[in-house]
This record gives sequence, structure tokens and C-alpha cells, in this order.
Amino acid sequence: MRRMSGRTRDPLLSALISALDAQRVQTGDGARRLYSRDASVIRGGRVGVVCFPETTEEVSACVVAALAHGRDFVARGAGTGLAGGAVPCDEPVMVVLTRMDRILEVDVSRRLAWVEPGVVNLDLSRHLSGTGLHFAPDPSSQQSCTIGGNVANNSGGPHCLLYGVTSAHVLAVEVVLPDGEVVVLGEEEGDSVGYDLRGAFVGGEGTLGIATRICVRLTEDPPDVATLLLDFMSVGAAAETVSAIIAAGMIPAALEMMDQRVVEAVEPFVNAGYPTDAAAVLIVELDGQPSGVADEIRQIKELARVHGARSVRVAAEEGERERIWKGRKSAFGAIAVIKPDYYLNDTVIPRTKLAEVVQRIYEIVEEQDLIVMNVFHAGDGNLHPLLLFDAREAGVMERVLAAGEEIVRVSVAAGGVLSGEHGIGLEKKRFMSLQFSPADLEAQQRLRSAFDPVGRANPAKVLPTGASCGHVTSLGRLPDGAWV
Amino acid sequence: MNVPGPLGLSGDSLAACVQCGLCLPHCPTYRVTGDESRSPRGRISLMAAAELDGAPMDDEWLEAMSTCVQCLGCETACPSGVPFEELITTTREVMSSDRPAPLRLRLGLRLLGRPRLLHWGVRTLAVLQRLGLVPRSGLFPARLPLGGGQRRSTPGGDVLLFTGCVMDACQPEIHDAVVDVLVAGGRSVERTGEAVGCCGALHGHAGLRGEAMRRAEAVMAALPGDRPILVDSAGCGAALKRYGGLLGTPAAVAFAERVFDVHEWLAANAELLPEPSGLVGQPIVVQDPCHLRHAQGVHGAVREVVGPYATLVELDDEGLCCGAGGAFQMLEPELAGGVRERKLASIGRAFERSGARTVISANPGCAMYLAAAGVEVRHPMEIVAEALEDRHGR
Ligand SMILES: Cc1cc2nc3c(=O)[nH]c(=O)nc-3n(C[C@H](O)[C@H](O)[C@H](O)COP(=O)(O)OP(=O)(O)OC[C@H]3O[C@@H](n4cnc5c(N)ncnc54)[C@H](O)[C@@H]3O)c2cc1C
Ligand code: SF4
Ligand code: SF4
Repeated sequence: MRRMSGRTRDPLLSALISALDAQRVQTGDGARRLYSRDASVIRGGRVGVVCFPETTEEVSACVVAALAHGRDFVARGAGTGLAGGAVPCDEPVMVVLTRMDRILEVDVSRRLAWVEPGVVNLDLSRHLSGTGLHFAPDPSSQQSCTIGGNVANNSGGPHCLLYGVTSAHVLAVEVVLPDGEVVVLGEEEGDSVGYDLRGAFVGGEGTLGIATRICVRLTEDPPDVATLLLDFMSVGAAAETVSAIIAAGMIPAALEMMDQRVVEAVEPFVNAGYPTDAAAVLIVELDGQPSGVADEIRQIKELARVHGARSVRVAAEEGERERIWKGRKSAFGAIAVIKPDYYLNDTVIPRTKLAEVVQRIYEIVEEQDLIVMNVFHAGDGNLHPLLLFDAREAGVMERVLAAGEEIVRVSVAAGGVLSGEHGIGLEKKRFMSLQFSPADLEAQQRLRSAFDPVGRANPAKVLPTGASCGHVTSLGRLPDGAWV
Repeated sequence: MNVPGPLGLSGDSLAACVQCGLCLPHCPTYRVTGDESRSPRGRISLMAAAELDGAPMDDEWLEAMSTCVQCLGCETACPSGVPFEELITTTREVMSSDRPAPLRLRLGLRLLGRPRLLHWGVRTLAVLQRLGLVPRSGLFPARLPLGGGQRRSTPGGDVLLFTGCVMDACQPEIHDAVVDVLVAGGRSVERTGEAVGCCGALHGHAGLRGEAMRRAEAVMAALPGDRPILVDSAGCGAALKRYGGLLGTPAAVAFAERVFDVHEWLAANAELLPEPSGLVGQPIVVQDPCHLRHAQGVHGAVREVVGPYATLVELDDEGLCCGAGGAFQMLEPELAGGVRERKLASIGRAFERSGARTVISANPGCAMYLAAAGVEVRHPMEIVAEALEDRHGR
């Protein structure tokens, strides 16, 4: 790690260096550049200072130093966020939590674990292998993203259809509040007395404070798991099958759809044997007691047949299951084989409207002369249309933005919501008023002010009030500071 | 399409990175530091900054590049097909033409091209080691050989065994094990020996393209014909297989096609391996060298070849680098040490799970670096050779 000169005249830097050490406080051009972006195409401003605290006390010291010197602060995990939540605006202190990556305690009998916020999601489940327990939220980025980031975004994943999103798996959180004070919200067991502040904090996107220790609920591994791959000649038929499965009273552990472009992009990378000539495939995962699973496999095969599936493949062994899932989880990354840039939407619509809205998305994209890949959590109607483009093409950003807006409008008009799981961040805050009335937004602002009266914690995010910064633009290919 | 920047990188290769971050956990230096500038995504982004935005290639920038182990874990992990090897190799070449490599490294690399001198040096070191005058590091095995070993070679044999430089001098017993197994399978083996010498892998790693090309030409000239060239060091194998790309001539492409990792070749010629007479001894943990898993993609062959003779145990870190990285351990000892700590922890967990006490590694660099931390490491072919010996009741 690069060393900052130990002596500096900047009082903020001196304060940070004396709280941490010179190596863990960075202000180089490179560091400021790298920490000014996440996995989204949102470009905001520049980071002021990048800090790598290793303890709760150090996090608190970073927050206090930022406040004392009139700076904002932004928490950051692995930077895999897709809504620009960790993108800085006004030279804030960036508090990077990746070095706080210890699993502090696993209590198998009470099915809970205390972890630091920088623990990588998949590392926790790996660590638990052999205990018969796992951490259920499994965003497709789970190999990289941090549990702190999951908590902040209340992230979901394929298996959250049955098990619920992150907030159902967080029992308590130790938080450095925006004034530097350390509190624990929630309880290891039982409901906390009074308001559920833990519930308020989860999904706060770093605007309510910084999580420094998290007590997560662990879920029992299912006794039996089956993964099915259904293949269809039309997206509509696949969508109808999804509705039929839910209507039949089944809640699969996961129910995912990928269209032909996605399948074509990931198959060469994972060799899972996906049918690249299918218009759409569904991945259905069933778990539970072996007899129940076998029964559900039969029912799904029958529903698939009725709705015109070309074939149903049941993964024969663990390796085959893993390859099928790897394909699904690589989808966002694999798009560069088609175009170098993507803009990902994340809206939720009623399941019954799936076929109709997806069809409408293809039309919108066609009208803007763009390419779309559809890969999404079909079971809970959470769409992820990926608009593909090459930012080096003149005028393409306007078309991307126009298509993106139209998709959000169509989703909300169909009775859906703005964001399924990626958060609002910088990206979606301009759409908040589509979904919320002024009174709703005012109430949310009051909650935020109760946590952060001076407005230093990741400001300019989530709520459409206050200063604005950040625009959807291409990463990397525009000079810094150029806002499109 | 090459962009007219200071590094001469391909614009399409840079654009292939969509910044998703799926490579982060597969990067050993990011794992240890948690720092984007020590990650594939960060390094690519910094390359693009210098190339496209005219960002300064200052000390901070250079350090981000020079701390890359070049393990290629990121290339395997990237769903977007970013050609990281191409990007970092080109970047390193530009760096080494601007700033000479450290003197120690240059002297060491020169020695590799002079097998006689190397052998002499190793024997001297071996004596010093026995006198207790050499501290244990990862650079040499704990007990270097004093003399010649068995050195069985059949000139004009069916296959060539590429004996390399360091390994021939330091660990001749591994070559012996390979010869034993191949001979038991009815093949005669010619060792390439001192006349051929070093493959140039470490030179290429250090960005010394000119020297790597000269070594490649010398190796090719010394090994004409069409016999298969088997390699038991993953690092050398990866370098030899890349001669086509390095020299860009049809002869080099044809040469590279003759090169096989010894496990890869045996897995394809499994009938040469004798029927196993049951599993031997304790379970064994498999460590995949990056140059086998990420650079050659033939780590499965080790399992196919050794599997019938021993119970194999997998590590839980998806082929994360061990930190040795050729000369990396010498140039970045602190970072390399941190990376090794993670590998040791993973090995520890595998030992605990399975009761294994031994690790196999198909690359001498990894083997020595892990052995220097007190792990018992063998070459996979030694395990097979011993299984054969046992059945012959020797
Ligand atoms: C390929 C890919 C696939 C994805 N798939 C999914 C998916 O299936 N489901 C899904 O929900 N998301 C998905 N995402 C989005 C993203 O991975 C998640 O939002 C993830 O939870 C972010 O974690 P992170 O550690 O990267 O956080 P970051 O991106 O670093 O930060 C995200 C937000 O959390 C805040 N934050 C981070 N750490 C803390 C902390 N300790 N305390 C307070 N605030 C904090 C930041 O300020 C920011 O607002 C995907 C992303 C990618 C690139
Ligand atoms: S190198 Fe590949 S995996 Fe890593 S961020 Fe870029 S596209 Fe994603
Ligand atoms: S080659 Fe290895 S060390 Fe270098 S960026 Fe890739 S994963 Fe990291």
C-alpha cells in the first residue's frame, strides 16, 4: 500500500493519519481515481481522501475527523454496487471497509454469526461449510460483495425468493452513527424493545451511519436440492410458466429467467450445456425434504409441458448444478463479449405482468436502436434488463438514458416499484417522485435527519432533495470531471 | 485497435473490462490489502487512465503495476474475457524499458542462462547449507543436492523431458521421478539437459522481452524435430507454450504445439500408467500452481494422473496464488508473505478436514516457497513414481 508522507500540513490528513497510520490514508491521484467509481456507469465527483480503517474505533475516528473538518464521508465495501451508492460527490472522506474482514464468532447452536462488514458474502458461507448452515442472501455478485454492502443495500439474490432478502437475515448491527457515536441496533435474539431501528438501518445505503459489526442469522442447509433447466422457444411461454408455478402454490428456492442473448454470452465461459438456440431458459431450484422435492419436480415438468417447454433438464450432480448457477451469476460480467458497456435497470413488476412488460422492454429498446439482454429474478418479478452499448459511439448515452427512463415508467405504471435490490443510490433518486408522494419523501427525509442531522453521511444519495451530483455516463472513457 | 497512448495497449482489450468486480476475490494482492490499486479492476483502470486520459505514470501508478504477481487468477475469473496477461505483459515491458530491473534480479536472471555456472553455484550453496550458513528462504529447497543424482537419459528417446535451469540444478530428483514413470510405461526419455538451459519464463515475467525472445530462439534451435516435449515445471511449461505468441513465427507456433505439461500428456496417454493396486498411504492435498491452472488450464490432469494412486484433497480457495510468483517473493517479500499466509491457512483447513500431511505442487517455485514455511511439499510425479516402486517391491 502506498505511503502518505507522514508529515502534512492539511489538518484533516493529519487527523486521519494520527488515527490510522500513513499507509492507510491515501490521497494519490490513482487512489482518488479508483475510489471514485463502483460497478455502475454512474460518474459523480472525486474522492478527497481514501481511508482503510481496521477497527470500529478507527471508523469512528474517520467520521469524527471528517465532521471536524467540514467534509462528508462515504462508506464503501467491495464497490460492486450498481446504483452509484459508493460514488463520491464533493471530495468526501471515503471509508473503505475491506480490511475489516474477520468472522468474529459463529454460534452454530443459536444459528448466528458476528462478522465485520468487509467479510465477503461467499466467504462466510464457505467458512460455514461442514456446519450444515449458510448465509442465505446470495446476490449474483456474492463472490465479491461485502456483507456490509449487502446490509446497506438490503440486497437480494436468486435464493431470496424463498428465504427473503438481507433484512430477514440481519439480527443486529453495530453502527458508527453520523456523529461518531457507536451503538448496537437490534438484538441477537427476540425483538428489540421499542422501535425496530435495525430495520430502519438495513437498506440505508450508507446514509444512516456505517455498519462495523453485523450479527447475521444463519440458515440450515436444505436436506435435498434439485436444479432444473427449462428451455422455451418464446420469452412469453417462459413468463407464463413462471406465473403458473407460483399459481400452483409452489415457492421454489429460486426461479430465474435468462433470454437467448444472455445464454449465448455465458455458455462459452461456463460450458454448462445451456441450449443457445432457446429464446429463453428458466432455472428453477427446489429444496426441502427429498419426497417433497421429487413431487415438485413432477409438477414442474407437467406445467412446463403444458406451457410449451422444449425440454426440462434436472442437474444430475453437484458439478452440473454449480455450472448452471455460475452461468447465471456471470451474466452481468459476460456482456463485454457483445458490447463494452452496460446500463442495468432493476425494477419490480407484478409477476402476472411479466410477459407483457418484458415484451414492452424489447420494443422500447428496439425504438432506441439499442441491444438488451434480459436476465432476472422471475419468481419475484424483479427485472434486470441490461442495455448494451459502446460508449465510444457518439450520442449513444442519450438513447440509453431515454430507454432506461421509459423502462422505469412502464414498470411503475404496471404496478411495480423502482428498485428491486440494487438500491437507489445516485442513479434512481430522480425517479423517487414517480413512486412516492411529497409527504412520503418528507417522512423519509425526517428519518434520515434523525440519524444524520448535519447531512454528512453519504449525502446527495437516495432522496431527491438537496445537492445533486452524478450522471449516468460511461466509465473510463471520458476525462475526469466531464459530466454527460 | 491500438490506442496511441504511452503503453501501446489495445483499446478493445481495455474496453473489455466492465468494472464488475467479479475478479476481486481471485486476486491475491487485493485479498491481502483490500485495496483497489492492488486489484485487477484497479490495475486495468489505471492502465486506461495512463493510456487514454494522460494520467501520470508516477510512483503510485508504477507500484500498482509492479505489485501484480502475474498469476492470471483474474483472467480465469473474468466472465468478460479481459486478456489481462496481454495487458500486464505489455505494461511491464514498457516499465522495464524505462527503469531497469533491480540489480539482484538482473544478476539472477543472467545466471539462469548459464547452466554450468548455476550448477556450480548450487553445489556451493548446498555445502554452505549443510554448514548451517544459509537461512531458510523460499528461493531454494531446504536441502539442495550435493551431487549429480541419477540423471538417466536416452538420447534419441521417444519423448523429450525439458529439464530447465533452476530445477535441473536444485531438484533433479523430480526429473528422475518423471523418467521412472515414463520408462515404466515403456517410453524412452531424453533429458534436454544443460545444452538447452533456461526457457526465459522469468525474463518474460520481468518485462525483459528481448532476453525472453533470445532464450526462446536458443531453446527452439536446440530442440529441432517433432518429438513431444514434456515439462514438469508449470512455470516453464507455460512459457514454452507461449513461444508462438512471443516470436510470432510459424516455427515457434509449431514448436509450442509440441509442448505438454507432463501430467497433461500422461492424462492423454493414460494407458501408459500401470493399473493402481489400491490407494497408497495418507490423503494428499493438491495445490494448483497458477501457471498450471490459470496459464495452461490443465490442472485437472494432475488429478487424473495422481488420483488412481492416492486420495486427493482439494483446497477451498479456488486456486488463489501462493505468493511465490517466480521472482515476486524476492521483489515484494512483505506482500508475498501475506499471500502465502492465506494459502497456509487454506492448507491448514484442508489438513484438519482430511488428516492429510502432505501437499503436491507441479511447480518448483510454489513448492519451495511453501516448503520454506514448513509445509511438506512433493511433486505429483514423485507420488506416482513411489506408487510404482511400491508395487515393484523395491
Ligand atoms: C455482477 C453483479 C451482480 C450483482 N447481482 C446482484 C444481485 O443479484 N442482487 C443484488 O441485490 N445486488 C446485486 N449486485 C449489486 C451489488 O453487488 C450489491 O448491491 C452489493 O450488496 C454491494 O456490496 P458492496 O460491498 O460491493 O458495496 P458497495 O458497492 O461498496 O456499496 C454499496 C452501498 O453500501 C454502502 N455501504 C457499503 N458498506 C457499508 C457499511 N459497512 N456500512 C454502511 N454502508 C455501507 C455504500 O455507501 C453504498 O451506498 C450485483 C452487482 C454486480 C456487479
Ligand atoms: S477484469 Fe473482468 S471480472 Fe474484473 S472487473 Fe473487469 S470485467 Fe469484471
Ligand atoms: S495477475 Fe494475479 S496479482 Fe495480477 S491482477 Fe491478476 S489476479 Fe491480481
